Amino acid sequence: MQARLARRKRRRYGAAMVRFENVGMRYGAGPEVLRDVTFVLEAGSFTFLTGLSGAGKTTLLKLIDMTEPPSRGLVTLFGNDLSVTKRSAFPALRRRIGVVFQDFRLLPHLSAFDNVALPLRIAGKRENDYVQDVEELLSWVGLGERMQAKPATLSGGEQQRIAIARAVVARPDLLIADEPTGNVDSEIGQRLIRLFAELNRLGTTVLIATHDRSLIEDLRAREMRLVDGRLVELRSARP
Amino acid sequence: MSLGAPGSILPREKGAAPLDVVIAVMAFLAALALGASLLAERTAAGWRAGLSDRLTVQIVPPANISAKALAREAETALSILRATAGIAHAEMLSESQTQALVAPWIGSGALLSELPLPRLIDATLVPGARIDSAGLARALKRAAPDSELDDHARWIARLAGLAAGITWSAYVILFLIALATASAVAFATRAGLDAHREMVELLHQMGARPSFIANAFERHYFMSTLGAALAGGALAAVFFLVAGSLESAGVEAAPFLPPLGLKMSEIGWLALVPAIAGIIALATARLSVLAALRKIY
Ligand SMILES: Nc1ncnc2c1ncn2[C@@H]1O[C@H](COP(=O)(O)OP(=O)(O)O)[C@@H](O)[C@H]1O
Ligand SMILES: [Mg+2]
Repeated sequence: MQARLARRKRRRYGAAMVRFENVGMRYGAGPEVLRDVTFVLEAGSFTFLTGLSGAGKTTLLKLIDMTEPPSRGLVTLFGNDLSVTKRSAFPALRRRIGVVFQDFRLLPHLSAFDNVALPLRIAGKRENDYVQDVEELLSWVGLGERMQAKPATLSGGEQQRIAIARAVVARPDLLIADEPTGNVDSEIGQRLIRLFAELNRLGTTVLIATHDRSLIEDLRAREMRLVDGRLVELRSARP
Repeated sequence: MSLGAPGSILPREKGAAPLDVVIAVMAFLAALALGASLLAERTAAGWRAGLSDRLTVQIVPPANISAKALAREAETALSILRATAGIAHAEMLSESQTQALVAPWIGSGALLSELPLPRLIDATLVPGARIDSAGLARALKRAAPDSELDDHARWIARLAGLAAGITWSAYVILFLIALATASAVAFATRAGLDAHREMVELLHQMGARPSFIANAFERHYFMSTLGAALAGGALAAVFFLVAGSLESAGVEAAPFLPPLGLKMSEIGWLALVPAIAGIIALATARLSVLAALRKIY
């Protein structure tokens, strides 16, 4: 009975890349940052997560990439209920997610090339097999000439593009990006969004947290808005 | 490309880190201890070979024995030795040879000619032959009551004991050095993990398995330890080579001590030191990292 229920549940979540059900989140003994958040990211969907600064966008992304566990509610990732998933299975789940951090988190002692190649090395790929991919991707984000540069010698916008290249290089099933266009001018911003859209067309589910409304207008994708820790659905998928 | 060997995820430190100095010194000491045990083995084997195929019989003159009677006893003992199976060769030392033996201690003055010196018979065994020393000693006593057989057994036993003592001391020292090396690497690894905490957290976040992170660290410490231990071991090798060439040039390190020069084949054994140091570092770093990662995984 129990097993059949679990199986049915799993099937029901099968098509969802991410599912939140009545998720609440508080840091330590602080106030609830997220309240009763419920949503589904379907496989292959493209979604914007908007909200004022401090609304809880980064926190929501942290629940998805398993940096933090929710205080309450259900979070499932690729059909796995994270509260009952074995810790030993987490690395494999994490490798299916590409993350663009708000603060980039590049390794300062590695070149742009090596930073971008990192997920491929983690996945156990051999260098010969990925050199060309990494170089092409770096050219695509406009850094073909700076492949050997250390992050400290690059501008904020350039560092951000490296962070994005690193997040997408391994063709993740799910891409989450936290303010990925915060430090670049609008032309580069559009270019980056096109990169995300291209990746999305190839099958990656994309969730982008941003407060930049101009990006959203262009793509006409689904928008979820956080207001005071609660989720408001503003616009559902493409018309 | 720039990536080089996987493992270069950790930044390469510039210059010699404190750990490198510690490892180099440890390796130097370990190579000295190893070399000393090799020397002890070889020297003891040489002494053993030199003594175990020889016998000495002394005819110690008691008070009031005539020189003639002493000579007769000596001749009897000599003929018994020559008749014993397994003895290849036996010869009486002449009076002047015997005097030459004791001259360094009592001088060659008038005293020497007046002193009643024992007669000495030097015998060489057929190589590999086993002699019943106790039986031979009894037979000699019966025919020549003042004879004493010395088969050097006590000496050989002592030398073997000395060599074994040196060898075991060296092993204990090597073990202690290995322990200290492992501790130093464990300490450095923990400091390294702390220094690279952000990187470790990022790798964890990106889905790296613990073994991926451990690999980066173990390679790092393997390479740096190998380099430092090679330097320390090479220094020790130079020490033994210089000592050896000085000795063969006639400069004796210290009289009555075994020679300090190692043969080339023995120098080769010193290569074990950096190899084992590297393996110790690799294993220690790996275990340290995996233990530390258990907290976040
Ligand atoms: N590590 C943390 N510890 C405590 N409070 C936090 C932490 N991270 C974020 N917060 C709080 O949670 C709220 C939401 O923050 P955040 O998710 O970063 O919002 P956003 O990304 O939308 O700007 C803020 O009030 C912030 O102060
Ligand atoms: Mg944020």
